Parts: sequence; C-alpha cells; structure tokens
Amino acid sequence: MSYLLTCPNCGTREVTDFAYGGEVSRRPRERPSRRELGAYNYFRRNVAGVQREWWYHRSGCRAWFVAERDTRDNRVLWTALPDEAKAMQ
Amino acid sequence: MSRLPKQPGERINRARTVRFTFDGKPVDGLAGDTIASALYVEGQRTFSRSFKYHRRRGLLCCAGQCPNCLVAVDGAPGVRACTEPLREGMRVEHLNASPSLERDLMAVTDAVGGPFTPPGFYYKTFIRPRRLWPLYEKVLRNAAGLGRLREKQDEREWRSEYRRRHADVLVIGGGLAGLRAALAAAEAGEDVVLADEGAEPGGRALADGRHDEARALAARAAGAGVEILSSAPALGCFDGLVAVWQGTTLHQIRARRLIFATGAIEQPLVFAGNDLPGVMLSGAVRRLISLYAVAPGTRAVVAATSDRGLEVAEALRAARVEVVAVADLRAGWTVLEAQGRKQVRAVVLGAIDGSAERRIECDLLVVSGGFAPATSLVAQAGGRTAYDARRGHFALADLPDGVEAVGAVAGEGATAPEAVPPAVSGAQRGKCFACICEDVTAKDIHLSVDEGYDSIELSKRYTTTTMGPCQGRMCQLPAVRLMAQETGQDLQSVGTTTARPPWSTVPLGALAGPTYEPAKRSAIHARHRELGARVQWAGDWRRAYDYGDPQAEALAVHESAGLIDVSTLGKLIVRGPDAAEFLDRLYPNRFSNLKPGRIRYGVLTSDAGRIMDDGTICRLDDESFYVTTTSSGAGAVEQWFAWWLADWGMRVTLTDVTQGLAAVNLAGPRAREIMGRLSELDCSNEAFAYLDGKRAAVAGVPSLILRIGFVGEVGYEIHFPAAYGHHVWDAILEAGAEHGIRPFGLEPQRILRLQKMHILVGQDTDSESTPFGAAMPWIVKLDKDEDFIGKWALEHAAEHPSETALVGFAMPDGDVPTEGAAVLDERGEPVGQVTSARHSRQLGQVIGMAWVPSPLAADGATITISDERRRLSASVLTKPFYDPEGEVLRS
Amino acid sequence: MTAFEFLEVSGDAIARSPMERQALAAGARFEVRDGWNVAVSYPANGSLTWTDMSHLRKVEVHGTHDLTPGLAAKANGSWRCPITRDRMLVLGASDADGIDVTCSLAALAICGPQAREVFARFCALDLREREMPVGGFRPGSVARTPGYVLREDDDRFLMLFGWALGEYMWTVVSDAAAPFGGVAGA
Repeated sequence: MSYLLTCPNCGTREVTDFAYGGEVSRRPRERPSRRELGAYNYFRRNVAGVQREWWYHRSGCRAWFVAERDTRDNRVLWTALPDEAKAMQ
Repeated sequence: MSRLPKQPGERINRARTVRFTFDGKPVDGLAGDTIASALYVEGQRTFSRSFKYHRRRGLLCCAGQCPNCLVAVDGAPGVRACTEPLREGMRVEHLNASPSLERDLMAVTDAVGGPFTPPGFYYKTFIRPRRLWPLYEKVLRNAAGLGRLREKQDEREWRSEYRRRHADVLVIGGGLAGLRAALAAAEAGEDVVLADEGAEPGGRALADGRHDEARALAARAAGAGVEILSSAPALGCFDGLVAVWQGTTLHQIRARRLIFATGAIEQPLVFAGNDLPGVMLSGAVRRLISLYAVAPGTRAVVAATSDRGLEVAEALRAARVEVVAVADLRAGWTVLEAQGRKQVRAVVLGAIDGSAERRIECDLLVVSGGFAPATSLVAQAGGRTAYDARRGHFALADLPDGVEAVGAVAGEGATAPEAVPPAVSGAQRGKCFACICEDVTAKDIHLSVDEGYDSIELSKRYTTTTMGPCQGRMCQLPAVRLMAQETGQDLQSVGTTTARPPWSTVPLGALAGPTYEPAKRSAIHARHRELGARVQWAGDWRRAYDYGDPQAEALAVHESAGLIDVSTLGKLIVRGPDAAEFLDRLYPNRFSNLKPGRIRYGVLTSDAGRIMDDGTICRLDDESFYVTTTSSGAGAVEQWFAWWLADWGMRVTLTDVTQGLAAVNLAGPRAREIMGRLSELDCSNEAFAYLDGKRAAVAGVPSLILRIGFVGEVGYEIHFPAAYGHHVWDAILEAGAEHGIRPFGLEPQRILRLQKMHILVGQDTDSESTPFGAAMPWIVKLDKDEDFIGKWALEHAAEHPSETALVGFAMPDGDVPTEGAAVLDERGEPVGQVTSARHSRQLGQVIGMAWVPSPLAADGATITISDERRRLSASVLTKPFYDPEGEVLRS
Repeated sequence: MTAFEFLEVSGDAIARSPMERQALAAGARFEVRDGWNVAVSYPANGSLTWTDMSHLRKVEVHGTHDLTPGLAAKANGSWRCPITRDRMLVLGASDADGIDVTCSLAALAICGPQAREVFARFCALDLREREMPVGGFRPGSVARTPGYVLREDDDRFLMLFGWALGEYMWTVVSDAAAPFGGVAGA
C-alpha cells in the first residue's frame, strides 16, 4: 500500500505521511440511548466502496481533513478541509 | 575453445584480460564478458545443480531470466552468471552441489526420487513416524534452498541505498521500443527515467544485428536528458510507485506516466530432458555469438515455432556452427527428447502426429517456443491480459489511465505466423520439466490436478511452479497449457496466476535499505550516558532506565533529593478565547474554573468513557493552558485535540512543544532548599504551594516550574528550553551536591509512583478501563452543565458499578509477582490480574497494583496471586502505600 | 517573565544545539553568538555540506496570512512559511510575534549541487527544480519523522525536524551524504 493522498494544505504526499482517522460519523447532538451510544462508539459501516473518512497529516501540517476514497482500490475522489467538506455532497 | 572472429556488435574488449576464480580455479576472461560467457569459452557446460533433483543445468536464456546459472560471487549467493559482468579478482562459486558441481551426492534424488518426491513430498513421505519430523525437517532444510548467506557482512556490503525519484515519465525496458518512447517524451520536454535490466540499453536488438541502431538511439536518449538506469530491473509496481533495483541502490520511482517496454520472453518447450545442458533458447545463442563472440556448440539442432526461432539457424551458420536439422513446428515437427548424461549428445525429433521420429547426434539443441509478452509488471500496475489463441499466449487487453505499453509487450512486431506448441511432447521418455526453478515436471502437474488442485492458483501453491527465481518467465505459460490439458478447460478459463512482486530476484538486504530508526533523545541525554545510565527504549525515546542502583536512587528521593529527566512528557500549549471551554469539553473534569498559576490533574476519556491518557494542566493566563501528556501519548493527544478542534471549530490554537522543552523533576525533602538556591523564587510552602505553577528563572534560564508530586515527595517539575538541557541539569546537581542529590532513572520513578498508587496509563489501565474502575471517580464531574467527551458513557458507568476495580496490594518482602500474573478467586479461577509490582526498600515490602473483583476492593481484603507455579497471598489497600493522606506532598 | 518566556532562548546561559556533540566530533570550532554555541568552522571542505542551523529563531504564528500554500516569502532576511491557512512558521526573525518554537525544531541546511540526491536517500518529497522553486516550502516526512523542507536558494535546502532527533538526523544525513563526498560545514 503506497498510494498518494493530497493534503489540502500541503499537497500530494505518500499515504504513509498520514494517519487514518476512520470513517466520518456524527457524534450524537443530544443524549443518545444506550443502543445509539453503542452504535456510535463501536459500529462502523465498513463499506466496500466509496466512503468519507478522516485523515490527519501527521508528518506535515498536522491538520485533519476529509477524503472520499474507494476502499476497494484506494482511489481517492477528493480531499478537503473539514469546513469545505461539509459543503460536498 | 577460442573466440569467434570479431563480431560486429561485440561487447568484449579483446585487449584486456580479466582474471577471476571459479570454484577456486583461476580463469581468464575478457573485459566486457559476463561470468557465464567467460566460463563457457573455457568449456564449462554445467553451471548449477537443480533445486530438488540436483540435475545438471547449463545456460538456457543468457538473459538473467532462468535459474540455471545462479552462482555465488564473493560469498553472496543468487547472482546470475549470464548477466553479471566480469570483475578482476571476483571469486565465483557454484551453488547447491556437494562436494562439487561435477560430483554431487544429492543427484541420487534424480535417480530414485521421482516416485518419492511428488509435489508436497515433504509432507507426504516424511510424516511417519511423526516423532522423527524434527529430524526430517532439519535434513530437508539443509537440502533446500540455493546457497547460503554469510553469517556476517560489512555494514554497507549488502545494504542498498533508497533513492526517491520523481519523474514525468518512467519507461521500463530499454529495448528499441523503450528507447524510442523515452526519447520522444524527453524531446517533448518531459523529465524521463528509463530503467533497463540489461548492462547496456538496447535489449534484443544488441544481439540480432541492430546493435548500431540501438546504441545510436541510446546515445540520443541520454543526450535528450533521459536518465538511463542500466542493470536496473524493475521489481514491482506498488500503487504507482515502482521499485527499481540497481546494484547498491533501490530506486523508488513515481512518475505521472508509466510506459512499459518490457518486451517478450522466449518460451522453452516441454519435452523429455528439456533441462539438459546444451538445450538453449535461440536468444541465448544469439547473445553468446553477437555480444561475446562465443560459439555455443559445434553441431546444432534447432526446434522452433516461428521464423524468429529459425533466424537463429542463420546466425549459427555464420558462426560456423553446423546446423544438422531444423524441426519447424509449423511443418509438423518438434523435439521429443534430449539425450546425454552430462550434456546434450543427441536429440530425438518427432512428427507431431506421431508418424515418424529421427535421432540426431549433436552437442547443441536450440529451442524457441514462441515469445510471450512480459506482462507481469503491467498487470501489477493494473493492466489486464487475455488469452490470444492465434498466438498461443496471454496478451495485454486493457490498461488503466497513466499506463502505456509499447513494443513487443504490446504485441508490436509479432507479425510472423506462429505455431502453438503442445503442452508436452515425449512425455514417456523421461522427465519433462514445466518449471526448471522448482523442478516441477509435467507429471507433477498431472498429479496435482489428480489430487484436486485444479485451479492454476492452487496448483501454483502446491507445486510451487512460477514461484522460483524465474518468477514465471519460463514456466507460467507451460503450466497453464498443462493445466488446460489436464482439466479440459481452455486457456482463457485457466487464466494466469496473479502477478506479484518481486518480478526480478533481489537480495532481501536491497529491500531492507538503511536501518534508520528515528530515536528521540532528550537534550540531557549525553549527561545520562556520562553518568553511566542504562539506556533503554521507552516508546520512540531513548531513556535513562537507571544509573546502576534503582533502589538506592529511589531511597535518595525519600531521604534527600533526586533529579529525573522527564523531557519525554508530551507538552502542548492550548491557547485562545475558547481554550478553557475546549478543555472542559475534552476532559471529564473542569478547567474553566482553574485559576492562572494553578495546576490540575486530568484524565482524558473517549466517548466510550475509557481512559486514553493523563497528565497535568497548568493555566498560564486566562487564554493559555500548558497541557502535559504521558510520554507515549504525546502524539495521540495532539491528534485527538486537533480532531475535535477540526469538528468543533472553536477559537483555539494548539502548539506542540514536546521536544522544545526539556523537563526535569527535582523531588525530595531537600528539594525546596535546592530550588531556593537556583532561583529567586520564594519557595516556602505558603508562597509556592502544592499544585502551583510558576514562571521564573532557574539557574538563569527562564522556566515553568510545576509543583506536583508524581513520586510522592515535595517536587518541582521544571520545564525550560531544550537548548539549556545540560546547563540546568548540571546546575541542579551542583546546587544539590551538598544536600545529597542523586539522579534517578525511569525504574526508580516507577517504584516511587507505585508507592503513591499513581497509575501509568496503558500499564495499569487498558482499553476497557474507566476512571471509576481505576479508582478515580473524583475526576469525573458529571454535574458539569456542558457536554464533554465520554459524558454519556460515564453517566452509565457511574450508575453501574464496575465488576472489577484497580487496587493496591502489599506482601511481605520476597518474591515480586510478574506483571500480568493472575488474581484468583477462592475456587482458584482467574478473576483479575496484576498490572504493576515492585520491591520497595522504603516500605520494606513488595507492593503492586491489580484489577480485582469489586467485592475484594476493600482495605484488608486478601487476594491470591498465581504466578507461574507459585501462589502468593497479598492484602488489599485502596489508599497509597506511602503518605496516604498526601501530607508529605503538601508540606 | 512574559507568558511564554519559558519557551525562549534568553538569559545568560549558553544555548546548545542537539547536534553539538556530532559537530564537535566532526572537528567543528565553536563561538558563542547571540547566546548560542555555534559551530563556525570545520576542518573539511567540500561541494556538498550540511550545516547545523538549529540556532535559527523559529516562531509559530497563528492567524490568517496572505501566503500561497507551499511557497514561503522572504522579507528582511527572514522566511514566512505557510503551514495551513491560519498558521505559519517564521524563520530567522527576531521580532516575530507568536509561540517561540526555536527549540522544538532542529535544523540542518544541506547545500550543494548534489543536495537533492542526498534528500532522495531519506525523503519522498519532490524537490525537483520545476516542482520546488526557491522559496518552496514543504511540510512532510523526512527520514521517517515529521519535518519541513525550505528551498532557500538554488542549491540550499533547509530541513527542520524535531529537536530530540538531532543526533539521529545527523547520522542519517552524514550517512546519506557520505557517498557523495559530503562533509559537515559551517
């Protein structure tokens, strides 16, 4: 595994420059039920396909950003800073 | 034997002799020779013994593709004699034969081994009696493999340097097509690298009369700025990164465009005795003649499937080799058997319909079973292949974006009609090798299908066909043909095995590269070494574990004063108008009400309420906090903070100053006096109380001084610019000398903190521990109005007491239980475990911490610890062993 | 003391680079300059050198700036290097206002026509002329650890990395530069 990721701040780097932060999920806004809390803490969709996920440029700018990546072939569709990513559908 | 007259494109320099040794005997070759060409001139025909049967093997491909000429050079095995340039004084030795290449005792396996050595024989033949397997294993291990590594090497000897290369275009393969593609790209202004496995670019053209064209093209390409890497095989494609091995350098090349010009690989034919020395591919014969002016034999028979194969007959005649017969498969003739003991003495040709055969005496059998596109690397880069029934091989069918193929690998130039050879011929006459690397015969593939290994991928793993040094170059297609014949499928359905790196054989040392291990060292590290510290890894830091006597070092902290380097602590500056609220949201306790100049302990929890890290937080001013983390948690905590900040978008900035500040902890009953001598601070308990954080100069260096008590005595954690590491350390030791100060290491610190029951996150806690279980309910402020990370899970945990609890335990002085030892219930069932245990000289006891069932988490309860075969009894404590009320600490 | 003075090199004591001992072993002669013990000369000369620049003042400045990502700007002898949209590193300025990270980041300048080849031995950044003009600034992994590379001049690259990795990085750079005849220089 040595594909490339494009950090919105720094540009394109080897994926080993980054830390993976898992798929983007939403923290409950209100007090969740036990089931909801369990799902939020422990369950992941783990899709075979395109997913939105967090990445951290550990070796570079040390900023978090969001990427859409196809988990089957590591094709990265786009990357964006969190505020920009919120606008991407 | 002598050389042929000067050949038009020859590479040798007849004026320069190069002397080397082969198995101890001196041999003279010429500059420009390979090991193999020089030995061949001298009459050497056997170059190695085969992997399993120890059969004689001679030159087959002369292109660095097959396993037949693997030798050891100066003690390094796995070198291909046919491509390795001759060097003065090189020591060449054979592999895989004992006592000698000529007399190899293991060759007996060839005579008797057939029925006993089918695929997987080591599991079939050598399993009974079972108790003898260790012996069998030893024998088999000794028999297996090709050559031995030397036990010791010089540091740089087998290591390669990594070299990153970014380019616009990478061309793999330096034949005419590759050179043309590289030239065109360079002339268009692109930054081009060309990697070629040959010692000289030009590929096949160098040996088939087009050498002038090849050399001119190479010169033009170099002139246009192409970086040409010679003797540089590409090993594999890894998501666009191509590894190219060139001697002592491993190039890691990324290019926007990949152009594959990997050519086509001449295929052998499968017939009885097809591995006998003297059986050669047509390309090998042409290279020997054209590049090295070596006559490959005196009387030759040619068996071919295309015109390309037949052209070799012309080349042989030009080199005055008698061509006594030509078997053209298109005319219905092929070869059934090569005969001879040490090398080819005769061949049996047969009509494909079985109607006729002819035995012909000769010393050279030139075979050419067609040319298969070298698609493996392209496949690794995402290309797909499909079977081309007309040509009888797998051809490229589909290429991903950014990947191109030119030349023979793309099917260019293959115009002449070819005949598709039978999967095997002359099968009844002797061993017909499908895979010469691993000694797999056509019969072995038949057997493996019989046993149910009827897919090409399964057969590969069972018989190891395609897994040897040739990496399928010589055996992939024959194996697929045999599989098709055995299973009745067509070749497209059989398919090929997945192309995997490495495409060329490579020493592991070349892949390992230099051994760079990022080791962090505190700014005071050199002093620790001078003081005789035992240095050990602690995470990615090198740390002083102790200075020789951990118990005495711990005692010094109680009796006078100790000084420890704690520079490894994570240190973060959290700053901004929302900084206090940010920390309130991250920690289960409050920081918004912390006064500037005061310190509070904090435990970070996840949203599952589990402990992630801990540390102290000092408020510097309204908007600034100084956060310390555990040494190993520094990176993760910064990452965690930054993550929530990215989500919440608060007006907060983070600055990691972990490495920017050295930190030392000065602790002990005399610490206050020593501090007083080093700074102008009023260090009285009233002016500088427990959990105060002050900024002042220490030994003239601006510092942040935190009065905290991890080790249980009055202590000052002094944080200051790392550039002053030695200065401050030296000054403290000097000022404390008359007070009996002593440096102490990590191990005595662990004893001291255990006496205080201060947890080590990750040592005493695991991924399931909550602050409630870890006996720190006071750290969780569920009455905080605001939401915080972990709140919901901790609310639940508060209402549902945990089943286990972290407690201290003490035992009479004696054996120290192993960390991880089990805590047993009355029935002897494991119900908990010891997380820390140490002998404490101060307390005269063995003390520790353990997770125990909650009913046992009461002062005075007795627990049983099972440690290996011992049963130890200990009594439970829920308060610190030393200074339980913290009076010493606050004094 | 101001809020963050404990991060700053000031006062009477002599500040030392984390690579001081390695420089000493390479034969450096030292002088105290602006409170730092600085290697001012070495016995060996060469066209490829690496120079300890750890004493360079570095300040992390928060707040939006007008810099182009990947490109540092030089003014009055100091470099303003953009890391994110609202964070930059200012190198060599005595008056920059922010958090002083001088001692968080050690620094080596690698100089000479072969500098890129030395980097290529331990760093995956694309430092080719076209991709990395003078002033090009790249946060990214160097020798398996987080770092920054700034092209200060045609053949001069400044590499910043963790202070605690000084001894390690000196070893890596001298090892990588040795085959090119590189030497420590001032």
